[in-house]
Amino acid sequence: MGIRFQEVSFHYPQNQLTYYQAIANITLDIESKNEFICLVGRTGSGKSTLAQHMNALLLPTSGTLEIFGTKITAKRDKKTNYNSLRKHVGLVFQFPEYQLFEETVEKDIMFGPLNFHTGIDEAKEIARETLKLVGLDESYLNRNPFNLSGGEKKRVAIAGILAFDPDILVLDEPTSGLDPRGKTQMMELFKEIQDKTGKSIIIITHDMDLVYEHASRVVVLYDGELIYDESPKALFKREGLEKYHLQYPSPIRVLKDLKERFDLDLDIYQRNLSDAVTALKRAVK
Amino acid sequence: MSYIEIKDLSFSYTKKRQILKNIGINIEKGEWIAILGHNGSGKSTLAKTIVGLLEPGAGSITVDGIKLDQDTLQSVRRKIGIVFQNPDNQFVGVTVRDDIAFGMENLCVPKAEMLERIEYFATKVGMEKFLDKEPASLSGGQKQRVAIAGILAMQTEIMIFDEATSMLDPYARGDLMEHIKKLHNEGLTIIMITHEIEEALLADRLVIMKDGAIFADGPKEELLKKPDLFQGSALELPFSLRLANQLTGAGFEEVRGYLWESAFRK
Repeated sequence: MGIRFQEVSFHYPQNQLTYYQAIANITLDIESKNEFICLVGRTGSGKSTLAQHMNALLLPTSGTLEIFGTKITAKRDKKTNYNSLRKHVGLVFQFPEYQLFEETVEKDIMFGPLNFHTGIDEAKEIARETLKLVGLDESYLNRNPFNLSGGEKKRVAIAGILAFDPDILVLDEPTSGLDPRGKTQMMELFKEIQDKTGKSIIIITHDMDLVYEHASRVVVLYDGELIYDESPKALFKREGLEKYHLQYPSPIRVLKDLKERFDLDLDIYQRNLSDAVTALKRAVK
Repeated sequence: MSYIEIKDLSFSYTKKRQILKNIGINIEKGEWIAILGHNGSGKSTLAKTIVGLLEPGAGSITVDGIKLDQDTLQSVRRKIGIVFQNPDNQFVGVTVRDDIAFGMENLCVPKAEMLERIEYFATKVGMEKFLDKEPASLSGGQKQRVAIAGILAMQTEIMIFDEATSMLDPYARGDLMEHIKKLHNEGLTIIMITHEIEEALLADRLVIMKDGAIFADGPKEELLKKPDLFQGSALELPFSLRLANQLTGAGFEEVRGYLWESAFRK
């Protein structure tokens, strides 16, 4: 077992008398290998708060959280080695600017391994390899991360997390702000990382097309509560997801409209363009 | 003379790499244009030069007859509101209320009117219940809505949205777009930088940037008929049009026509 949430709640303190409940009674199991989970829900539904529990950046207000066998409680425990937990679960933030800070890309990627006591030469080698893994060539090693484009910064931030080889990779909106080609490349990158290493990947996103095409499991939050945890196929067959502010993926929306307009015998549940084209051609003929 | 005239505009941070190359765009009063382009194509840099946050290396920007320079910077800025992608870059207030007030304070809006506008625009973005909360306690998408309310409350004549909705869920985005449409109908000039093609199609005109230059500029109906323009610049047509383009041959005319029509349905 990788990460286990049992009835976990978290409150952000407002002032001395009130608090804001961000997540409530979350029960969720995440395997340490081969998961491809998308975490979805409207803005403010608690997705980022939940993600920050996954490597104990936030500690639960109540409930039990277990990360790779270590129990995490509300109180910071001196005996718990939080650093070693973070070696298991790497978290990439929404805005890569927040985690890039060194003057060169190489130093930035080396920071994690050095912090986990890897030797300098080995850390340099790791920097080279992970940079290749995220699709950037060696010429980036000596560049200043702050002069890179948004998409490049995201790749460097991901490389910095991959460098200490976590079992589970948690990414908060990794494709927001990327152009469509960058988005596709980023998703291919995650698939490739998973195929090569078997790491579990958890992605927070609003992009339902991406969820439908890539995820094997989708977790839906609404007002801090977990309301669905199932396959994308099962989720998008449900009626009335609008009330949770969830949009249906483009293929389903467009094919549904065509089916009704032209009274077609058409299976609207197609995951991508080429499947949609095949299904539609069959139905029209 | 156009309302906004951008002429032969160039910009670079270093000598080696030119970020903007001879940009020329004319925008009429009340127009809604969408600027599309791959990451690093120069869209945000262009936005920052229009509001005078960056000084162009060559060329000129004229807004409502005023040529942008050090002396006219303040008067041009009063006409233009800009919302960035990352709301943390523009947060200043201790509470949501203070934050929405900040821009108006700089414009010396009278207090009573300011309070009215805060309520009004907070409601418009669905954040009226959060007015006394600290911005730090909000989620990314909620912060973005507050930032947008603060800029809308300044009631400028021109609004630039620099990927301002990329953190919002589709419903929050839809609500906001409804409101922006209303403001546009009342005469607001809009420059929308976005990767979301559905959002771009709300505009009348598309400008596609590639490698720091203008790659295409024209009415959306014309540009959408050239899929190569989009593929050649890392962009993607809406799903319905990509589907329509794959349905070649006889027997699909009606479906194809319907898909085209639905792509423009607002």
